[in-house]
Amino acid sequence: MGENYKFDTLSLHAGHIPDKETGSRAVPIYQTTSYVFKNTQEAASLYNMEVGGHLYTRISNPTVAALEQRLAALEGGASAVACSSGMAAMHLVVSTICSSGDHIVASSKMYGANINLLQHTMPRFGINTDFVNPNDPDAIEKAIRPNTKMVFGEVIGNPGLDIMDVPAISEICKRKNVPLVLDATFNTPYLMQPFKYGANIVIHSLTKWLGGHGIAIGGAVVNGGNFDWGDKEKFPTISGPHFALNGISFWEEFGPSALIAKIRAEGMYNFGPSLSPTNAFYLMQGIETLPLRMKKHIENTHEMLDFLQNHEEVAWVKHPDLETHPDYKIAKRILPKGSGSIIVFGIKGGREAGQVFIESVQLASHLANVGDAKTLLIHPGSTTHSHLSSEAMKEGGLTDDMIRLSVGLEDINDIKKDFEKGFRAVKKLGARC
Amino acid sequence: MLINFKGAKTYIGTGGKNLDNSKTTICFIHGAGQNHLSFIQQSRFFANKGYSVIVPDMPGHGLSEGKPCKSIKEIAKWVYDLLKTLDVNNIIILGHSQGCLVALELNRLYPSFLNGVIFVAGSNEIPVNQFLLDLSLSDEQKASNMMVTWGHGIDGDMSINNWPGHSHYGEGNNVMKMNKPKSLNCDLNACNNYKDGIDAAKSINIPALAVLAKNDQMTPLKSGQKFVELIKKCETHVLDCGHFLQTERPKVLNSLILSYLLKL
Repeated sequence: MGENYKFDTLSLHAGHIPDKETGSRAVPIYQTTSYVFKNTQEAASLYNMEVGGHLYTRISNPTVAALEQRLAALEGGASAVACSSGMAAMHLVVSTICSSGDHIVASSKMYGANINLLQHTMPRFGINTDFVNPNDPDAIEKAIRPNTKMVFGEVIGNPGLDIMDVPAISEICKRKNVPLVLDATFNTPYLMQPFKYGANIVIHSLTKWLGGHGIAIGGAVVNGGNFDWGDKEKFPTISGPHFALNGISFWEEFGPSALIAKIRAEGMYNFGPSLSPTNAFYLMQGIETLPLRMKKHIENTHEMLDFLQNHEEVAWVKHPDLETHPDYKIAKRILPKGSGSIIVFGIKGGREAGQVFIESVQLASHLANVGDAKTLLIHPGSTTHSHLSSEAMKEGGLTDDMIRLSVGLEDINDIKKDFEKGFRAVKKLGARC
Repeated sequence: MLINFKGAKTYIGTGGKNLDNSKTTICFIHGAGQNHLSFIQQSRFFANKGYSVIVPDMPGHGLSEGKPCKSIKEIAKWVYDLLKTLDVNNIIILGHSQGCLVALELNRLYPSFLNGVIFVAGSNEIPVNQFLLDLSLSDEQKASNMMVTWGHGIDGDMSINNWPGHSHYGEGNNVMKMNKPKSLNCDLNACNNYKDGIDAAKSINIPALAVLAKNDQMTPLKSGQKFVELIKKCETHVLDCGHFLQTERPKVLNSLILSYLLKL
């Protein structure tokens, strides 16, 4: 009681204590769609949100709830909701807070799908976004309008690895009474807990480092509980009357957890992006080793940075832990344990050389994911960010020769040997030319 | 709902239903540094079980404006005036922690006013150590965080919650942050200075319900057990949890309260 367990302990235990009936030490997989009500009164209580509990797995599930409570504990948040993917989490936040006619200020240097959702999909529903440089707090402040309902960005941008100055931007958001929503996938709560720096809402793709095994897609919204939604005119979906439940105000009824209560009552209920209990279990297995994995990820990343920087076939290397990175100082301040395990680099010889390299390595896998325990590679310009316009690519810092490396947990010498194989193939290409 | 009361904007939770003075009214009184959100899983539950529910945010707490009351007596008078203003009948008071002292004092000052009284994590006295009193002035946030941590049993430590996805600590800390600065110090001093609890407990002539917690570090079980012995007719239960029974064991607590109400 009153133990205030530390991060490593919470990674293993939060959200679950051994089952009193069966003694099950592991979190049981409640692979069920629904739950038998004890009586009609209990059923009514759950539908009315009078007490906590589960009524249908689209809304909540005991295994998924254990994951949600673990994430809330690890982030130091008030509450969380897990969902089918990181993009589902993003959509839940936008659709819960914003309505037609509302406006978002977002980073211009983000994951392609995040940009696509805000640039192309949401405008069809009357929600428009201005994209600004995430490293320019003044530009962010200037872009905020009276109808702006959130500022959105990635703590570590994908794939450009720009670092948002979260403390500075959160101060602006506080002054303007706008929630700061951050995609914290690349940092995970192990490297940085955004609520400590003033962010209000965090979204995760659990598929990446939190899961770490590349076997389950999942996402989550974690609510800091530190935003005042009380302005009914500005945030009518949270503090105004709800369309059901006798017209309650979620802010008045649920206070710090109003956002998550609303997401469950509307987003999960009406859109249904639920996470399967089995995937929740898999993701929790990953989280159990998150601290150990992140330490090794960072260790291997720093080794790879040295290796790539000193390699004659490499044209350039970018990572926020390098003094040459424009956000090095911000990274040192808010990501002291390390700025993640993604490295972007260019190979001498441009796009063609990059392609040869990717096709010549054996250990590193060429695929569209990051944060796996295994080393991964991709050419963003032709894959993850290929839907972006050339302007947006330029704005996002994407170059034609850029390779995104997600450093895994293999023996570092084996990764280096594997890369040498790729570089030898590139060299041969150069000789042919 | 928000009303203007004694010149200040005052928030009263009603469990999402309109007040209905023809029904029995349950008035929930929150503890030190808390507000109406202490009773998230009680207010809507009882409002949907045929009771009229009133969960006021005391002055300077939660969504209420005004200066925090400085003594238990002052809070009790404020609650009495509020209930009179709202013209409610057949009143049951439910206090949590400091709210129990308020319930005791309310019944002592206005002996025939209440029809029932429920003490959750209660005692006739809540002495507060000097360290916490000082900390609540010098670093209110740290004092709040410590109270939230001490106030929960293993469910708090392990982030176990019957409300899917909720964290006792994360939510508890932010509920306390909603209150006006220095309100916690006012509350803790009011608790520490209240000395009429024994007489007040002995003067209770209505049936009472007390629900105590085995692992309560704020109002220890021993103190609660001594307290209930002072009350002429008190049904007592002990639950296996920490100080915040309302969120740690809401279903059992609600069922005990409901069964008590049906017996009145």
